[in-house]
Amino acid sequence: MADYLSVQALHKATPAFSPAVPVALLPYLAFVLLSATFALAFYFSTLPKEKIPAHELAVASAASLLGGFGVVALFCSVGVYV
Amino acid sequence: MPRHWRAPFSFLLSVVILPLCTSAANSFENTAIVRTVELGGALVHVTTTYAVKALEDGSSVYTIALAEQEHAHTSWLEAKLKGESERLPLEDFGFHQDSGVFLYTIELPKALNTNQTANLVIETVQTHATYPWPEEAGQKDGQSLKYEAELLVLSPYKTAVQRTKVRSPSPQIHSYTTPEDVEFTTDAVATKSGATITYGPFHDIPPSATSDFADKKQKHITVHYSYDYPVLEVTKLERAAEVSHWGANLNIEDKYWLHNAGPRLKGHFSRLEYQTQNYFGRPAPHTIPALQLHLPAGIHDAYYYDLVGNVSTSHLRTTPSIPKGAAPNQYSVLELRPRYPIVGGWNYSFTLGWDSPLEDYAGYDKATGKYVVSVPIMTVIPGSVVDEAEVKIVLPEGATDIEYFVPYPALDETISTHISYLDTVGRPKITLKYAQLTDKHGGNIYVTYKVPFSAHMKKPVAVTTAFAGIFTLALAWKRVDFRIRRK
Repeated sequence: MADYLSVQALHKATPAFSPAVPVALLPYLAFVLLSATFALAFYFSTLPKEKIPAHELAVASAASLLGGFGVVALFCSVGVYV
Repeated sequence: MPRHWRAPFSFLLSVVILPLCTSAANSFENTAIVRTVELGGALVHVTTTYAVKALEDGSSVYTIALAEQEHAHTSWLEAKLKGESERLPLEDFGFHQDSGVFLYTIELPKALNTNQTANLVIETVQTHATYPWPEEAGQKDGQSLKYEAELLVLSPYKTAVQRTKVRSPSPQIHSYTTPEDVEFTTDAVATKSGATITYGPFHDIPPSATSDFADKKQKHITVHYSYDYPVLEVTKLERAAEVSHWGANLNIEDKYWLHNAGPRLKGHFSRLEYQTQNYFGRPAPHTIPALQLHLPAGIHDAYYYDLVGNVSTSHLRTTPSIPKGAAPNQYSVLELRPRYPIVGGWNYSFTLGWDSPLEDYAGYDKATGKYVVSVPIMTVIPGSVVDEAEVKIVLPEGATDIEYFVPYPALDETISTHISYLDTVGRPKITLKYAQLTDKHGGNIYVTYKVPFSAHMKKPVAVTTAFAGIFTLALAWKRVDFRIRRK
Protein backbone atom coordinates (compact mmCIF):
# COMPACT_ATOMS: atom_id res chain seq x y z
CA MET A 1 0.00 0.00 0.00
CA ALA A 2 2.90 2.30 0.80
CA ASP A 3 4.35 1.48 -2.63
CA TYR A 4 1.08 2.41 -4.27
CA LEU A 5 0.85 5.71 -2.45
CA SER A 6 4.46 6.56 -3.25
CA VAL A 7 4.03 5.85 -6.97
CA GLN A 8 0.80 7.85 -6.89
CA ALA A 9 2.75 10.79 -5.43
CA LEU A 10 5.50 10.28 -8.01
CA HIS A 11 2.91 10.31 -10.78
CA LYS A 12 1.49 13.58 -9.55
CA ALA A 13 4.89 15.22 -9.06
CA THR A 14 6.66 14.33 -12.31
CA PRO A 15 6.37 16.72 -15.24
CA ALA A 16 3.82 15.70 -17.85
CA PHE A 17 4.90 13.61 -20.82
CA SER A 18 5.88 15.67 -23.85
CA PRO A 19 6.52 14.02 -27.20
CA ALA A 20 9.71 14.55 -29.19
CA VAL A 21 7.66 16.01 -32.02
CA PRO A 22 4.58 18.13 -31.17
CA VAL A 23 1.44 16.27 -32.15
CA ALA A 24 -0.08 19.21 -34.02
CA LEU A 25 2.94 19.21 -36.33
CA LEU A 26 2.66 15.56 -37.29
CA PRO A 27 0.25 15.88 -40.27
CA TYR A 28 2.41 18.59 -41.86
CA LEU A 29 5.56 16.62 -41.15
CA ALA A 30 3.99 13.55 -42.73
CA PHE A 31 3.07 15.52 -45.86
CA VAL A 32 6.52 17.07 -46.20
CA LEU A 33 8.44 13.87 -45.56
CA LEU A 34 6.31 11.70 -47.80
CA SER A 35 6.42 14.26 -50.65
CA ALA A 36 10.19 14.29 -50.35
CA THR A 37 10.22 10.48 -50.37
CA PHE A 38 8.05 10.44 -53.49
CA ALA A 39 10.24 13.03 -55.23
CA LEU A 40 13.42 11.19 -54.36
CA ALA A 41 11.95 7.87 -55.46
CA PHE A 42 11.03 9.44 -58.79
CA TYR A 43 14.55 10.84 -59.10
CA PHE A 44 15.95 7.41 -58.23
CA SER A 45 14.04 5.91 -61.12
CA THR A 46 15.70 8.29 -63.57
CA LEU A 47 19.27 7.56 -62.49
CA PRO A 48 21.50 5.70 -64.96
CA LYS A 49 23.03 2.32 -64.13
CA GLU A 50 26.60 2.48 -62.78
CA LYS A 51 29.10 -0.21 -61.89
CA ILE A 52 29.31 1.03 -58.31
CA PRO A 53 25.82 2.41 -57.66
CA ALA A 54 26.96 5.00 -55.13
CA HIS A 55 24.61 7.74 -56.29
CA GLU A 56 21.65 5.38 -56.51
CA LEU A 57 22.30 4.00 -53.07
CA ALA A 58 22.63 7.48 -51.60
CA VAL A 59 19.32 8.59 -53.09
CA ALA A 60 17.65 5.31 -52.08
CA SER A 61 18.89 5.61 -48.47
CA ALA A 62 17.72 9.20 -48.20
CA ALA A 63 14.32 8.28 -49.61
CA SER A 64 13.99 5.28 -47.25
CA LEU A 65 14.91 7.29 -44.17
CA LEU A 66 12.49 10.09 -44.99
CA GLY A 67 9.86 7.50 -45.84
CA GLY A 68 10.38 5.72 -42.52
CA PHE A 69 9.69 8.82 -40.46
CA GLY A 70 7.00 9.98 -42.88
CA VAL A 71 5.00 6.76 -42.54
CA VAL A 72 5.16 6.87 -38.72
CA ALA A 73 3.97 10.49 -38.81
CA LEU A 74 1.24 9.51 -41.30
CA PHE A 75 -0.06 6.70 -39.11
CA CYS A 76 -0.28 9.04 -36.11
CA SER A 77 -2.03 11.75 -38.14
CA VAL A 78 -4.81 9.44 -39.29
CA GLY A 79 -5.52 8.15 -35.80
CA VAL A 80 -3.54 4.91 -35.67
CA TYR A 81 -1.33 5.91 -32.79
CA VAL A 82 1.65 3.61 -33.28
CA MET B 1 -13.20 -9.91 -3.57
CA PRO B 2 -10.53 -7.39 -4.63
CA ARG B 3 -9.07 -6.27 -1.35
CA HIS B 4 -7.03 -3.20 -0.58
CA TRP B 5 -5.22 -4.78 2.32
CA ARG B 6 -2.69 -7.55 2.50
CA ALA B 7 -3.41 -11.04 3.73
CA PRO B 8 -1.09 -12.05 6.62
CA PHE B 9 2.37 -12.58 5.21
CA SER B 10 2.88 -15.88 6.92
CA PHE B 11 0.48 -18.63 7.78
CA LEU B 12 2.68 -19.53 10.73
CA LEU B 13 2.34 -16.04 12.09
CA SER B 14 -1.42 -16.19 11.69
CA VAL B 15 -1.49 -19.46 13.61
CA VAL B 16 0.35 -17.68 16.41
CA ILE B 17 -1.73 -14.51 16.25
CA LEU B 18 -5.17 -16.13 15.92
CA PRO B 19 -5.16 -17.68 19.40
CA LEU B 20 -4.06 -14.27 20.65
CA CYS B 21 -7.10 -12.85 18.91
CA THR B 22 -9.45 -15.16 20.73
CA SER B 23 -7.81 -14.21 23.98
CA ALA B 24 -7.96 -10.67 22.70
CA ALA B 25 -11.69 -11.35 22.49
CA ASN B 26 -11.71 -10.39 26.12
CA SER B 27 -9.99 -7.10 25.58
CA PHE B 28 -12.94 -5.28 24.03
CA GLU B 29 -16.64 -4.91 24.59
CA ASN B 30 -19.19 -3.51 22.16
CA THR B 31 -21.34 -0.94 23.90
CA ALA B 32 -23.48 -0.55 20.79
CA ILE B 33 -23.62 -1.88 17.24
CA VAL B 34 -25.82 -0.20 14.64
CA ARG B 35 -26.00 -1.73 11.17
CA THR B 36 -27.64 0.24 8.37
CA VAL B 37 -28.45 -1.62 5.19
CA GLU B 38 -29.12 0.63 2.20
CA LEU B 39 -31.03 -1.56 -0.23
CA GLY B 40 -30.30 -1.10 -3.89
CA GLY B 41 -30.45 -3.06 -7.11
CA ALA B 42 -27.20 -4.75 -8.03
CA LEU B 43 -25.38 -3.30 -5.02
CA VAL B 44 -26.32 -3.11 -1.36
CA HIS B 45 -24.38 -0.76 0.90
CA VAL B 46 -24.04 -1.85 4.52
CA THR B 47 -22.60 0.47 7.15
CA THR B 48 -21.96 -0.98 10.59
CA THR B 49 -20.96 1.29 13.44
CA TYR B 50 -19.30 -0.37 16.43
CA ALA B 51 -19.04 1.65 19.63
CA VAL B 52 -16.23 -0.25 21.38
CA LYS B 53 -14.88 -0.04 24.88
CA ALA B 54 -11.46 -1.42 25.77
CA LEU B 55 -11.30 -3.76 28.76
CA GLU B 56 -7.51 -3.91 28.94
CA ASP B 57 -4.73 -1.39 28.60
CA GLY B 58 -3.03 -1.14 25.22
CA SER B 59 -5.86 -2.69 23.19
CA SER B 60 -5.27 -1.75 19.58
CA VAL B 61 -6.38 -4.70 17.43
CA TYR B 62 -10.13 -5.09 16.98
CA THR B 63 -11.58 -8.15 15.30
CA ILE B 64 -14.77 -8.26 13.24
CA ALA B 65 -16.53 -11.39 12.04
CA LEU B 66 -18.52 -12.03 8.88
CA ALA B 67 -20.77 -15.02 8.44
CA GLU B 68 -20.22 -17.27 5.43
CA GLN B 69 -23.18 -16.06 3.41
CA GLU B 70 -22.46 -12.40 4.11
CA HIS B 71 -18.79 -12.83 3.22
CA ALA B 72 -19.66 -14.52 -0.08
CA HIS B 73 -21.57 -11.41 -1.13
CA THR B 74 -19.15 -8.80 0.20
CA SER B 75 -16.97 -7.15 -2.46
CA TRP B 76 -15.72 -4.08 -0.63
CA LEU B 77 -14.73 -3.74 2.99
CA GLU B 78 -13.40 -0.58 4.56
CA ALA B 79 -12.85 0.44 8.18
CA LYS B 80 -12.61 3.99 9.46
CA LEU B 81 -12.94 5.81 12.73
CA LYS B 82 -16.20 7.76 12.92
CA GLY B 83 -15.70 11.27 11.57
CA GLU B 84 -12.28 10.54 10.02
CA SER B 85 -11.57 9.92 6.36
CA GLU B 86 -8.40 7.85 6.72
CA ARG B 87 -8.76 4.12 6.12
CA LEU B 88 -7.57 1.89 8.96
CA PRO B 89 -5.22 -1.03 8.16
CA LEU B 90 -7.20 -4.23 7.74
CA GLU B 91 -5.87 -7.79 7.88
CA ASP B 92 -7.74 -10.76 6.51
CA PHE B 93 -7.53 -13.83 8.70
CA GLY B 94 -9.66 -15.96 6.44
CA PHE B 95 -12.14 -18.62 7.35
CA HIS B 96 -12.09 -19.95 10.88
CA GLN B 97 -13.12 -23.63 10.57
CA ASP B 98 -14.26 -24.07 14.17
CA SER B 99 -16.54 -21.08 14.30
CA GLY B 100 -17.64 -20.95 10.66
CA VAL B 101 -16.93 -17.23 10.31
CA PHE B 102 -14.50 -15.06 8.41
CA LEU B 103 -12.35 -12.87 10.66
CA TYR B 104 -10.77 -9.51 9.92
CA THR B 105 -8.64 -7.46 12.26
CA ILE B 106 -8.51 -3.69 12.33
CA GLU B 107 -5.58 -1.80 13.74
CA LEU B 108 -6.70 1.23 15.69
CA PRO B 109 -4.50 4.30 15.20
CA LYS B 110 -4.07 4.75 18.97
CA ALA B 111 -4.13 1.91 21.48
CA LEU B 112 -6.98 2.23 23.94
CA ASN B 113 -6.59 1.92 27.68
CA THR B 114 -9.14 0.34 30.04
CA ASN B 115 -12.61 1.86 29.66
CA GLN B 116 -11.58 4.11 26.78
CA THR B 117 -14.01 4.10 23.87
CA ALA B 118 -13.82 4.45 20.12
CA ASN B 119 -16.37 4.43 17.29
CA LEU B 120 -15.51 2.25 14.31
CA VAL B 121 -17.40 2.51 11.04
CA ILE B 122 -17.19 -0.51 8.75
CA GLU B 123 -18.53 0.04 5.25
CA THR B 124 -19.18 -2.89 2.99
CA VAL B 125 -20.71 -3.21 -0.45
CA GLN B 126 -22.51 -6.44 -1.26
CA THR B 127 -23.00 -7.70 -4.81
CA HIS B 128 -25.59 -10.24 -6.02
CA ALA B 129 -27.28 -9.98 -2.62
CA THR B 130 -30.69 -9.22 -4.13
CA TYR B 131 -32.76 -11.16 -6.62
CA PRO B 132 -35.91 -10.23 -8.53
CA TRP B 133 -39.16 -11.47 -7.04
CA PRO B 134 -41.40 -12.30 -8.88
CA GLU B 135 -38.77 -13.67 -11.26
CA GLU B 136 -40.82 -12.79 -14.33
CA ALA B 137 -42.65 -9.57 -15.06
CA GLY B 138 -44.62 -8.32 -18.01
CA GLN B 139 -43.69 -5.08 -19.74
CA LYS B 140 -46.31 -3.11 -17.85
CA ASP B 141 -45.55 -4.64 -14.45
CA GLY B 142 -43.31 -3.14 -11.81
CA GLN B 143 -40.02 -4.47 -10.49
CA SER B 144 -39.50 -5.87 -7.00
CA LEU B 145 -36.44 -7.37 -5.39
CA LYS B 146 -35.81 -9.53 -2.34
CA TYR B 147 -32.89 -9.13 0.03
CA GLU B 148 -31.90 -11.80 2.52
CA ALA B 149 -29.62 -11.30 5.50
CA GLU B 150 -29.03 -12.47 9.02
CA LEU B 151 -30.68 -10.68 11.88
CA LEU B 152 -27.82 -10.31 14.32
CA VAL B 153 -24.40 -8.82 13.67
CA LEU B 154 -21.71 -11.31 14.70
CA SER B 155 -18.82 -10.26 16.88
CA PRO B 156 -16.18 -12.12 18.89
CA TYR B 157 -16.89 -9.72 21.76
CA LYS B 158 -19.87 -9.22 24.05
CA THR B 159 -22.43 -6.72 22.81
CA ALA B 160 -24.52 -4.59 25.12
CA VAL B 161 -27.05 -3.44 22.54
CA GLN B 162 -27.41 -3.74 18.78
CA ARG B 163 -29.94 -2.86 16.14
CA THR B 164 -30.24 -3.23 12.38
CA LYS B 165 -31.93 -0.70 10.12
CA VAL B 166 -32.92 -1.73 6.64
CA ARG B 167 -33.59 1.24 4.36
CA SER B 168 -35.37 0.77 1.08
CA PRO B 169 -35.03 3.33 -1.74
CA SER B 170 -38.81 3.53 -2.05
CA PRO B 171 -41.42 3.39 0.73
CA GLN B 172 -43.15 0.50 -1.06
CA ILE B 173 -42.06 -2.50 0.99
CA HIS B 174 -44.20 -5.51 0.15
CA SER B 175 -43.18 -7.68 3.08
CA TYR B 176 -40.47 -8.17 5.67
CA THR B 177 -39.72 -11.01 8.06
CA THR B 178 -40.72 -10.63 11.68
CA PRO B 179 -38.52 -13.22 13.38
CA GLU B 180 -39.96 -15.09 16.32
CA ASP B 181 -38.33 -16.46 19.45
CA VAL B 182 -35.52 -13.97 19.45
CA GLU B 183 -33.82 -14.29 22.81
CA PHE B 184 -32.34 -10.89 23.22
CA THR B 185 -35.37 -8.65 23.24
CA THR B 186 -38.72 -8.33 24.91
CA ASP B 187 -40.14 -5.59 22.70
CA ALA B 188 -41.33 -5.87 19.11
CA VAL B 189 -38.49 -7.24 17.01
CA ALA B 190 -39.30 -5.32 13.83
CA THR B 191 -40.81 -1.86 13.42
CA LYS B 192 -41.47 -0.17 10.10
CA SER B 193 -41.53 3.58 9.64
CA GLY B 194 -41.76 4.87 6.06
CA ALA B 195 -39.02 3.24 4.06
CA THR B 196 -37.01 2.03 7.09
CA ILE B 197 -37.43 -1.22 8.97
CA THR B 198 -35.71 -1.32 12.35
CA TYR B 199 -34.86 -4.69 13.90
CA GLY B 200 -34.05 -4.48 17.57
CA PRO B 201 -32.80 -3.25 19.93
CA PHE B 202 -31.23 -6.53 21.09
CA HIS B 203 -29.59 -6.55 24.48
CA ASP B 204 -26.73 -8.45 26.10
CA ILE B 205 -25.55 -10.65 23.28
CA PRO B 206 -22.61 -12.92 24.21
CA PRO B 207 -19.62 -13.36 21.86
CA SER B 208 -21.40 -14.55 18.74
CA ALA B 209 -18.60 -15.52 16.32
CA THR B 210 -19.19 -19.20 16.99
CA SER B 211 -20.95 -21.92 15.00
CA ASP B 212 -23.11 -22.63 18.04
CA PHE B 213 -24.56 -19.16 17.94
CA ALA B 214 -25.09 -19.36 14.17
CA ASP B 215 -27.03 -22.62 14.56
CA LYS B 216 -29.09 -21.85 17.63
CA LYS B 217 -29.58 -18.15 18.03
CA GLN B 218 -29.19 -16.50 14.60
CA LYS B 219 -32.32 -15.72 12.60
CA HIS B 220 -32.78 -14.93 8.92
CA ILE B 221 -34.64 -11.94 7.58
CA THR B 222 -35.98 -11.29 4.09
CA VAL B 223 -37.19 -7.94 2.81
CA HIS B 224 -39.30 -7.74 -0.33
CA TYR B 225 -39.30 -4.22 -1.74
CA SER B 226 -40.17 -2.36 -4.88
CA TYR B 227 -37.20 -0.98 -6.85
CA ASP B 228 -37.82 1.74 -9.41
CA TYR B 229 -34.45 1.78 -11.18
CA PRO B 230 -32.93 -0.69 -13.62
CA VAL B 231 -30.66 -3.38 -12.15
CA LEU B 232 -27.62 -3.32 -14.39
CA GLU B 233 -25.00 -6.02 -14.36
CA VAL B 234 -21.87 -6.00 -16.49
CA THR B 235 -21.16 -9.72 -16.83
CA LYS B 236 -17.84 -9.08 -18.54
CA LEU B 237 -15.68 -6.03 -19.08
CA GLU B 238 -12.51 -6.07 -21.17
CA ARG B 239 -10.48 -2.89 -21.10
CA ALA B 240 -7.41 -2.36 -23.28
CA ALA B 241 -5.24 0.72 -22.77
CA GLU B 242 -2.56 1.43 -25.35
CA VAL B 243 0.22 3.94 -24.75
CA SER B 244 1.78 5.63 -27.79
CA HIS B 245 4.81 7.85 -27.41
CA TRP B 246 5.02 8.92 -31.09
CA GLY B 247 1.41 10.01 -31.12
CA ALA B 248 1.43 11.19 -27.47
CA ASN B 249 -1.82 9.31 -27.05
CA LEU B 250 -3.56 6.95 -24.65
CA ASN B 251 -6.23 4.88 -26.34
CA ILE B 252 -8.74 3.12 -24.11
CA GLU B 253 -11.10 0.54 -25.56
CA ASP B 254 -13.79 -1.11 -23.45
CA LYS B 255 -15.78 -4.16 -24.43
CA TYR B 256 -18.95 -4.49 -22.36
CA TRP B 257 -21.29 -7.42 -21.95
CA LEU B 258 -24.37 -5.97 -20.28
CA HIS B 259 -27.14 -7.90 -18.61
CA ASN B 260 -30.38 -6.57 -17.16
CA ALA B 261 -30.61 -8.46 -13.88
CA GLY B 262 -34.20 -7.45 -13.24
CA PRO B 263 -37.21 -9.75 -13.59
CA ARG B 264 -37.26 -11.71 -16.87
CA LEU B 265 -39.71 -10.48 -19.47
CA LYS B 266 -42.97 -12.44 -19.37
CA GLY B 267 -44.40 -12.87 -22.84
CA HIS B 268 -43.09 -11.10 -25.89
CA PHE B 269 -41.70 -7.59 -26.23
CA SER B 270 -44.33 -5.20 -27.59
CA ARG B 271 -42.84 -2.21 -29.37
CA LEU B 272 -46.23 -0.53 -29.27
CA GLU B 273 -46.44 -0.90 -25.50
CA TYR B 274 -42.90 0.42 -25.18
CA GLN B 275 -43.63 3.48 -27.33
CA THR B 276 -46.84 4.16 -25.40
CA GLN B 277 -44.97 4.07 -22.11
CA ASN B 278 -42.36 6.50 -23.43
CA TYR B 279 -45.00 8.80 -24.84
CA PHE B 280 -46.83 9.09 -21.54
CA GLY B 281 -43.56 9.43 -19.61
CA ARG B 282 -44.08 6.23 -17.63
CA PRO B 283 -41.04 4.10 -18.47
CA ALA B 284 -40.94 0.66 -16.89
CA PRO B 285 -38.22 0.31 -14.21
CA HIS B 286 -36.94 -2.97 -15.60
CA THR B 287 -36.23 -1.59 -19.09
CA ILE B 288 -32.94 0.09 -19.91
CA PRO B 289 -33.48 2.34 -22.94
CA ALA B 290 -30.20 4.25 -22.69
CA LEU B 291 -27.02 4.47 -20.65
CA GLN B 292 -25.19 7.53 -19.52
CA LEU B 293 -21.46 7.07 -18.98
CA HIS B 294 -19.10 9.55 -17.36
CA LEU B 295 -15.88 9.30 -19.32
CA PRO B 296 -12.66 11.15 -18.46
CA ALA B 297 -12.21 14.80 -19.42
CA GLY B 298 -10.18 15.72 -22.50
CA ILE B 299 -11.11 12.74 -24.68
CA HIS B 300 -11.67 12.90 -28.41
CA ASP B 301 -12.50 10.57 -31.31
CA ALA B 302 -14.80 8.29 -29.34
CA TYR B 303 -16.23 5.28 -31.16
CA TYR B 304 -19.14 3.02 -30.24
CA TYR B 305 -19.94 -0.11 -32.20
CA ASP B 306 -21.42 -3.52 -31.62
CA LEU B 307 -21.57 -6.81 -33.55
CA VAL B 308 -23.74 -5.31 -36.29
CA GLY B 309 -21.55 -2.24 -36.80
CA ASN B 310 -21.33 1.37 -35.78
CA VAL B 311 -24.13 2.58 -33.51
CA SER B 312 -24.98 6.14 -34.37
CA THR B 313 -27.46 6.69 -31.53
CA SER B 314 -24.97 8.19 -29.14
CA HIS B 315 -24.07 11.70 -28.08
CA LEU B 316 -20.75 12.73 -26.58
CA ARG B 317 -20.28 15.99 -24.76
CA THR B 318 -16.59 16.47 -24.02
CA THR B 319 -15.01 18.66 -21.39
CA PRO B 320 -11.51 20.15 -21.68
CA SER B 321 -8.48 18.27 -20.33
CA ILE B 322 -7.63 18.39 -16.68
CA PRO B 323 -3.98 18.33 -15.56
CA LYS B 324 -2.32 14.97 -14.84
CA GLY B 325 -2.94 13.63 -11.37
CA ALA B 326 -5.67 16.16 -10.53
CA ALA B 327 -8.79 14.87 -8.81
CA PRO B 328 -11.41 14.49 -11.53
CA ASN B 329 -14.29 16.88 -10.98
CA GLN B 330 -15.30 17.19 -14.61
CA TYR B 331 -16.36 14.36 -16.87
CA SER B 332 -17.19 13.93 -20.51
CA VAL B 333 -20.73 12.63 -20.78
CA LEU B 334 -21.58 9.96 -23.30
CA GLU B 335 -25.23 9.04 -23.79
CA LEU B 336 -25.55 5.65 -25.42
CA ARG B 337 -28.77 4.35 -26.85
CA PRO B 338 -28.39 0.65 -27.77
CA ARG B 339 -30.18 -0.72 -30.81
CA TYR B 340 -32.93 -2.11 -28.62
CA PRO B 341 -34.07 -1.36 -25.06
CA ILE B 342 -32.56 -3.92 -22.70
CA VAL B 343 -35.57 -5.49 -21.02
CA GLY B 344 -35.35 -7.77 -17.96
CA GLY B 345 -33.19 -10.81 -18.57
CA TRP B 346 -31.81 -9.48 -21.88
CA ASN B 347 -28.18 -8.98 -22.80
CA TYR B 348 -26.34 -6.46 -24.94
CA SER B 349 -22.68 -6.25 -25.85
CA PHE B 350 -20.75 -3.39 -27.42
CA THR B 351 -17.32 -1.84 -27.84
CA LEU B 352 -16.60 1.70 -26.73
CA GLY B 353 -13.25 3.42 -27.18
CA TRP B 354 -11.64 6.83 -27.17
CA ASP B 355 -8.31 8.62 -27.50
CA SER B 356 -6.89 10.99 -24.93
CA PRO B 357 -3.70 13.07 -24.77
CA LEU B 358 -0.90 11.14 -23.04
CA GLU B 359 0.08 14.34 -21.20
CA ASP B 360 -3.00 13.89 -18.99
CA TYR B 361 -1.98 10.42 -17.88
CA ALA B 362 1.79 10.05 -18.07
CA GLY B 363 4.78 11.76 -16.58
CA TYR B 364 8.50 11.52 -17.27
CA ASP B 365 11.08 11.57 -14.50
CA LYS B 366 14.30 12.87 -16.08
CA ALA B 367 16.45 11.84 -13.12
CA THR B 368 15.65 8.12 -13.36
CA GLY B 369 14.56 8.06 -17.02
CA LYS B 370 11.27 6.47 -15.98
CA TYR B 371 7.84 7.08 -17.39
CA VAL B 372 4.86 6.81 -15.02
CA VAL B 373 1.44 6.27 -16.53
CA SER B 374 -1.91 5.95 -14.77
CA VAL B 375 -4.67 3.84 -16.29
CA PRO B 376 -8.17 3.92 -14.72
CA ILE B 377 -9.40 0.39 -13.96
CA MET B 378 -12.89 1.00 -15.34
CA THR B 379 -15.56 3.60 -16.01
CA VAL B 380 -17.75 3.43 -12.95
CA ILE B 381 -21.44 2.97 -13.74
CA PRO B 382 -23.13 3.94 -10.45
CA GLY B 383 -25.20 1.17 -8.91
CA SER B 384 -23.91 -1.57 -11.18
CA VAL B 385 -21.70 -4.56 -10.56
CA VAL B 386 -18.97 -5.90 -12.86
CA ASP B 387 -18.78 -9.68 -12.54
CA GLU B 388 -15.56 -10.21 -14.47
CA ALA B 389 -13.06 -7.58 -15.56
CA GLU B 390 -9.85 -7.85 -17.54
CA VAL B 391 -7.57 -4.85 -17.87
CA LYS B 392 -4.81 -4.95 -20.50
CA ILE B 393 -2.16 -2.24 -20.60
CA VAL B 394 -0.03 -2.15 -23.76
CA LEU B 395 3.21 -0.24 -23.38
CA PRO B 396 5.39 1.14 -26.22
CA GLU B 397 7.67 -1.27 -28.06
CA GLY B 398 10.98 -1.88 -26.30
CA ALA B 399 9.76 -0.81 -22.85
CA THR B 400 11.96 -2.18 -20.06
CA ASP B 401 12.01 -2.19 -16.23
CA ILE B 402 8.25 -2.54 -16.15
CA GLU B 403 6.63 -2.26 -12.71
CA TYR B 404 2.94 -1.92 -12.00
CA PHE B 405 1.07 -0.90 -8.86
CA VAL B 406 -2.59 -1.77 -8.39
CA PRO B 407 -5.04 -0.24 -5.86
CA TYR B 408 -6.50 -3.70 -5.08
CA PRO B 409 -4.76 -7.03 -5.73
CA ALA B 410 -5.75 -8.66 -9.00
CA LEU B 411 -6.92 -12.26 -9.23
CA ASP B 412 -4.44 -12.92 -12.01
CA GLU B 413 -1.48 -10.96 -13.42
CA THR B 414 0.55 -11.72 -16.54
CA ILE B 415 2.97 -9.90 -18.82
CA SER B 416 2.98 -10.98 -22.45
CA THR B 417 3.74 -9.57 -25.89
CA HIS B 418 1.22 -7.79 -28.08
CA ILE B 419 1.90 -7.30 -31.77
CA SER B 420 0.36 -4.30 -33.44
CA TYR B 421 0.99 -1.84 -36.30
CA LEU B 422 4.61 -1.25 -37.37
CA ASP B 423 5.90 -3.61 -34.66
CA THR B 424 9.03 -5.73 -34.98
CA VAL B 425 9.57 -7.38 -31.59
CA GLY B 426 6.11 -6.58 -30.22
CA ARG B 427 4.92 -4.50 -27.28
CA PRO B 428 4.82 -5.56 -23.62
CA LYS B 429 1.27 -6.13 -22.42
CA ILE B 430 0.22 -6.35 -18.77
CA THR B 431 -3.02 -8.29 -18.20
CA LEU B 432 -4.84 -8.04 -14.86
CA LYS B 433 -8.04 -9.89 -13.98
CA TYR B 434 -10.61 -8.78 -11.42
CA ALA B 435 -14.02 -9.99 -10.27
CA GLN B 436 -17.03 -8.45 -8.51
CA LEU B 437 -16.15 -4.81 -8.96
CA THR B 438 -18.54 -2.22 -7.55
CA ASP B 439 -18.88 1.52 -7.86
CA LYS B 440 -16.23 1.87 -5.13
CA HIS B 441 -13.59 0.22 -7.30
CA GLY B 442 -12.87 3.16 -9.59
CA GLY B 443 -9.13 3.39 -8.94
CA ASN B 444 -6.03 3.84 -11.11
CA ILE B 445 -3.31 1.36 -12.00
CA TYR B 446 0.14 2.96 -12.12
CA VAL B 447 2.82 1.55 -14.42
CA THR B 448 6.45 2.67 -14.48
CA TYR B 449 8.72 1.77 -17.37
CA LYS B 450 11.73 2.98 -19.31
CA VAL B 451 11.99 3.35 -23.08
CA PRO B 452 15.53 3.89 -24.41
CA PHE B 453 16.04 6.15 -27.43
CA SER B 454 16.89 3.16 -29.61
CA ALA B 455 13.51 1.60 -28.79
CA HIS B 456 11.76 4.80 -29.86
CA MET B 457 13.57 4.56 -33.19
CA LYS B 458 12.50 0.95 -33.81
CA LYS B 459 9.41 1.90 -35.79
CA PRO B 460 10.93 4.44 -38.21
CA VAL B 461 13.88 2.08 -38.72
CA ALA B 462 11.52 -0.80 -39.49
CA VAL B 463 9.72 1.24 -42.16
CA THR B 464 13.05 2.56 -43.49
CA THR B 465 14.27 -1.02 -43.85
CA ALA B 466 11.11 -1.95 -45.74
CA PHE B 467 11.57 0.99 -48.13
CA ALA B 468 15.27 0.16 -48.52
CA GLY B 469 14.30 -3.39 -49.42
CA ILE B 470 12.02 -2.09 -52.17
CA PHE B 471 14.77 0.19 -53.48
CA THR B 472 17.27 -2.68 -53.46
CA LEU B 473 14.82 -4.75 -55.47
CA ALA B 474 14.50 -1.85 -57.91
CA LEU B 475 18.30 -1.63 -58.17
CA ALA B 476 18.51 -5.34 -58.94
CA TRP B 477 15.57 -5.16 -61.35
CA LYS B 478 17.27 -2.48 -63.39
CA ARG B 479 20.34 -4.68 -63.85
CA VAL B 480 18.53 -7.79 -65.08
CA ASP B 481 17.80 -8.12 -68.79
CA PHE B 482 14.21 -9.26 -69.32
CA ARG B 483 14.19 -8.98 -73.10
CA ILE B 484 13.08 -12.11 -74.90
CA ARG B 485 15.40 -11.59 -77.90
CA ARG B 486 18.85 -10.15 -77.46
CA LYS B 487 19.85 -7.59 -80.08
